[in-house]
Amino acid sequence: MSRIRFEGVSKSYRRTMALDGIDLNIEPSGLTVVSGPPGCGKSVLARILIGLEEPTAGRIFFDGDDITETPAAQRSIGYVPQSFALFPHMSVFDNIAYPMALQGVPRADIARRVDQAAGMLHIGPLLAKRPSQLSGGEKQRAAIARGLLKNASIFILDDPLVGLDFKLRESLMEDLKDMRAEIDATFLYITSDPLEALTMAEHLAVLDRGRLVEAGRVDAVYYDPAWLRTIELVGFPRCNILPGRLDTADSACATAIGRLPVTLEDGAGSPEAMVAIRPEDIVRPAAGVAPLGVGKVTLVENLGSESVVYIELHETTLVTTVPVGALASFDLGDPYPLAVRPGGPTLFDRASGRRIGRIRETHDG
Amino acid sequence: MADVRVEKLRREFGSLVAVKDITFVFPDGAVTCLLGPSGCGKTTLLRMIAGLERPSAGVIRFGDRDVTTLAARRRDVAMVFQYPVMYRTLNVTENIELPLANDRTVSAAERRRRVDEAIDILELGEARGLHIDRLDLGARQKVAMGRAIARRAAVTLFDEPTTNVEAHAKLALIRAFKQLRKHVRQTIVYVTHDQTEAMTLADQIALMREGRIEQCAPPPELYDQPDSEFGGWFLGNPGMNFLAVRPVGAGFVVDGVPFRLAAPRTGLEDVRFGIRPEYIRIDTAQSPDSVPARVLRRAVAIGGQHLVTLDVGGSRIKAKVSPGGGLSPRAPEVGANVFMTCPIEHAILFRRGQRVAEPLRRLDSSA
Repeated sequence: MSRIRFEGVSKSYRRTMALDGIDLNIEPSGLTVVSGPPGCGKSVLARILIGLEEPTAGRIFFDGDDITETPAAQRSIGYVPQSFALFPHMSVFDNIAYPMALQGVPRADIARRVDQAAGMLHIGPLLAKRPSQLSGGEKQRAAIARGLLKNASIFILDDPLVGLDFKLRESLMEDLKDMRAEIDATFLYITSDPLEALTMAEHLAVLDRGRLVEAGRVDAVYYDPAWLRTIELVGFPRCNILPGRLDTADSACATAIGRLPVTLEDGAGSPEAMVAIRPEDIVRPAAGVAPLGVGKVTLVENLGSESVVYIELHETTLVTTVPVGALASFDLGDPYPLAVRPGGPTLFDRASGRRIGRIRETHDG
Repeated sequence: MADVRVEKLRREFGSLVAVKDITFVFPDGAVTCLLGPSGCGKTTLLRMIAGLERPSAGVIRFGDRDVTTLAARRRDVAMVFQYPVMYRTLNVTENIELPLANDRTVSAAERRRRVDEAIDILELGEARGLHIDRLDLGARQKVAMGRAIARRAAVTLFDEPTTNVEAHAKLALIRAFKQLRKHVRQTIVYVTHDQTEAMTLADQIALMREGRIEQCAPPPELYDQPDSEFGGWFLGNPGMNFLAVRPVGAGFVVDGVPFRLAAPRTGLEDVRFGIRPEYIRIDTAQSPDSVPARVLRRAVAIGGQHLVTLDVGGSRIKAKVSPGGGLSPRAPEVGANVFMTCPIEHAILFRRGQRVAEPLRRLDSSA
């Protein structure tokens, strides 16, 4: 296990700044997910860590040792690349065994470990085949096995499940967590899928346009984000974001869907704000309480155990999640009285994106 | 409009049997989604109905009409593909109108009415005069959908139409499909690997596996009452928990969960107990029905729920804890000792993967 530290790491290609002054600690225990939209720089960060690319500026430390100049081969990192990069002329077994063979692991050990990993990843019967005989999902699993069987203190998985079937992803996420529990190493997992990020993460680092937006324990990042961009990028379905205007004298924020009472934190300045309301914080009003508004249902997506309901209110589309069975089913065009759960929605400064407060209650008294 | 009947329909590719003697009726005027993992045969079945793939054996009828050997263009089918097939020199209106313009049975007035209706429902009004090149992939797919629906073909087929569009456009397409359905009833077969899409759009879902239709039911029924472990696993995020059972006295206990249940009349060999994660309850205090459990893992899930993996007497059970529940918004920490309640009214028994029809019954503690 290694504690990884990025200090002011930047990478530019000609005029493009792929990474811009990344300061990030990666904990030796627990899996850290680096997430962000496509092009945010997360794969570049991985490639710099592995040593496939050099940073333009900044230093990288493993357990306090500066490894910025250390060649890739001496960094002891297991890597599952986004492209499977399997050797076409080798069997699946030999592909998986290759990094261990390079490290001089005894043949019997290799066979045992390959069999164990292949069993876990459901590719046991495929070990004698060539990569060209495998489906995309099978190749991906072979690449995962190869990356994770190396003797290494750090493992990096770069979007290992991208493009796979939903159900295969679900079971592979479970397998990866099991494998991770058995391997005593630091894990860095890269994905642009918000739900996969939440499912896998113990720690979460959010990247956007080459910059680190926020990092921390996944609960803290989800429930107490310091930045608007974090709440935009973390969570599924996506957060509702509405412009608002603060009235500090009245401790309220005026939005398209109504006036919301707020509690402001220190340092709230400009009246121009953004209100972020998570789907689960849009609720039905309690009995006897006037709703914030009555929207119109525009789509109901059925996820099995929950529905995602899209509601239009004052020309604003709101998304909410409802457990199935909690309410009668709705049809398109049905009225939907709604309220906002106090304490959940967060208030951000519009210009800086910094958090400045929370919503208190949605009704008088 | 017509129903679509397939009888003992089979398709082989060399030694691979993609579709295994399926006999099935796609009802007149309903949306049937063919849902299943990749390689289950859903696309091959659709392509045979369309006339794009020749069956190795079996019969396809549209109503009373045997179309098995008819060419695709003579079957009266409309189809929406993964990538929108467009006439690039034409504008939106002309694209929707084209198949109708070639149909002598449709009057000019009726043609205009249907095109206007499609454009109106699909909210393409502002784009109606635009050339196709000016539209993004999602909007083009909408046009393809409008063109297919405006034709009023005997059967309209959709082959994973939202696979290649980005998330926002996908929602717009699904909404457009729902709107179209409110106004126009047609016999529709819709192929998808996306369970949410199928559950959202279908009147009934035909769940496919390895060349066969495993179960066909309206979405809530398929979700709540799966005929097989496969259905319980495939639908849901995550799928159903399955637990081994052990005979005890006149009944049995579920591994890890010591409640005593009456054994089904046919015995307990190869039986498993299934329950969906959202029905499992977690509490910090013990109640008469609960059992001790330890938290192995937790993750934030859809809509701020927590997905909690529990160790219950050596069995692994997944639970979904909703916000607003007793523990919300924070779920118990990893390693915490908690109590789990597993309501048997939501559980299903499976024998060799197939549902056991008898309801679950608790044995009296004296039994």
